[in-house]
Amino acid sequence: MKFMLFAPELWVLFGSLVLFFVALADGNGRTARFWAALIVVGNIALTSATFFLHGDLFQGVYRIDLFSQLFKVLVAFGLGVVVLMNRDLRDVPERIKPEYYLFLLLSGLGLMMVVSCVELLSLFVALELSSFALYLLVPMRDDRNALRIQMEAASKYILYGVMATGVMLFGMSYLFGLTGTTVLAELLPKLHNIGSQPAALVAIMMVLAGFFFKLGLFPFHFWLPDVYQGAANETSAFIASVPKLAAIALLIRIASFLVPEDQSAGLLLGGLAVASMFYGNLLALVQKDLKRLLGFSGIAHAGYVMLGIVVLKDSGFATAIYYIAGYLIMNLACFLVICNVSTDGGNLQIDDLSGLYRRAPLLAIVLGVGMFSLAGIPPFVGFMGKFMLLAGALKQGYLVLVILAAINTAISIFYYLSVVRVAYCTDPERDDVLPVSFMVKALGVVLVAVIIVMGVAPASLVELAQQAVATIR
Amino acid sequence: MSSLVSVEGLAGVVFLVVVAVTLIGGVIATSSTRLPRAVSGLALCLIGIAGLYYFLNSPFLAAMEMLIYVGAVCVTIVFAIMLADPGADKKPGGMTAVGTAGSLGVGALFAWGLAALGTTTMWPAAAVKVNDGSVKAVGHALLTTYSFVFELISVVLLLAIIGALALARSGRDKA
Repeated sequence: MKFMLFAPELWVLFGSLVLFFVALADGNGRTARFWAALIVVGNIALTSATFFLHGDLFQGVYRIDLFSQLFKVLVAFGLGVVVLMNRDLRDVPERIKPEYYLFLLLSGLGLMMVVSCVELLSLFVALELSSFALYLLVPMRDDRNALRIQMEAASKYILYGVMATGVMLFGMSYLFGLTGTTVLAELLPKLHNIGSQPAALVAIMMVLAGFFFKLGLFPFHFWLPDVYQGAANETSAFIASVPKLAAIALLIRIASFLVPEDQSAGLLLGGLAVASMFYGNLLALVQKDLKRLLGFSGIAHAGYVMLGIVVLKDSGFATAIYYIAGYLIMNLACFLVICNVSTDGGNLQIDDLSGLYRRAPLLAIVLGVGMFSLAGIPPFVGFMGKFMLLAGALKQGYLVLVILAAINTAISIFYYLSVVRVAYCTDPERDDVLPVSFMVKALGVVLVAVIIVMGVAPASLVELAQQAVATIR
Repeated sequence: MSSLVSVEGLAGVVFLVVVAVTLIGGVIATSSTRLPRAVSGLALCLIGIAGLYYFLNSPFLAAMEMLIYVGAVCVTIVFAIMLADPGADKKPGGMTAVGTAGSLGVGALFAWGLAALGTTTMWPAAAVKVNDGSVKAVGHALLTTYSFVFELISVVLLLAIIGALALARSGRDKA
């Protein structure tokens, strides 16, 4: 039945219409949150229900298969956690809270659509839908210190974003010029017929540049720390985790055009991965602001996940999917703590976490597990993901890349653990107990459980990812 | 090499004129320190691009470019400048010598790379004409192959409008 194929997207679209009317009726944040929570929970249920469906829609530009549905479930889960994790958006002005939820949902909708698009133009428009919403979410923050950092962050985000989009479109125009089609399934054989013309490689790389921007890979990373710092905590939580899923999905779709024998492509992608790891990890060492630290760590993780893409093989792509899914969960765990420890919605310095183990023991555990996992310590998902990425790259003969990545892991342990040290080994500056709602506790427990289960038993998910990757060929 | 008075020769001259208009407009838009002048440069550049579309046998696209970009976008920018009056006395600081040299160098490298790519690649000739660029063909494509994009664009536009309102409305309070 064709209707079910498109049901999750229709549901979210319908939900954003509801929120639109809430906004029109000058609804308050509480009403908007109720509807948003209802919609995201329904969305998780619908995406799970449509998980094993497959089919084509809209004259073949929109494909539902295991690959798209896997990413859709992950996006729906991330969106759900972000919406549910905070009772009241403390840092968003009350009057625009309905709009805030509306943009959050539309951004999620764009990301859910983009993983299903198998045609360049629709892919571009769906990606822009999510980007526009994010550009708008960043400046929606109270101007507490009159420093207007949120405006600075938003302008940086939108200027870099538009530039990256321009480069991506230019690359797409080359692809169209070379093959005369925008449908991915028709592009692939025609590109292979052309052979090793430099224009094909340049075109693919330019398209990938647009996705690198979303992922925050060096040298498309400049916006990332500033946006994390300038945007409200909940906005950062979303930007840091969910769009990266879609970026990886698109990277895999387009990178599957490249043939593994192409040395220059591997060299370029590998170089970007290494530069990204070193840049992110070294700059993260000196950060004081927790969100900024996670921003630089995000740049480094973009480098790690590229290790899966660089091998240009299905096995590597599957590991990349596993890793980015794990990254989503551990990042959300860290941001769950940030959003709830910051009682007034302001940014957290690392020192603000001092004595967290006494003020909110559960949050301290969630933070500890998230940070350990990001650092890549067993038995958490971060370790297993990194291990598989490195093992996969080693098998393809990228020895130098693997050594450099291992060095980076060692560097990163220092700053992740220093955050945990502050939370556990220092005395609290304040003695008050942090109020933690039931919902946050439940989400924290779920996230920690998922991090551990994914780390201990990765086989089934990796197998699923492998089946998913196999469907895009 | 055909002579200048032949049809191909004249078309070549027209092409060069259109390219020159585009380039000159672009240079004015980026190098001018005064906003109204920069907008005029942008308009000139966009007129040139519309000419290129016309040259490429897409009269409908050329008309839309004139109508939307030259007509609506540039006029909107002019309105914004008129209403906001961004301090005519403030002069943005010029670029340093290193900055100028660097940007020129990078630009030249990029232009060289693209030019080399364009001339060395064997561009396949379009086996079939995609469509004749007429309104009918464009409309047909929008409602068949690209129906999904066509519908999705409306959501994007709605989002942009609401977003502009939500942000601008709160900006008015702060002022």
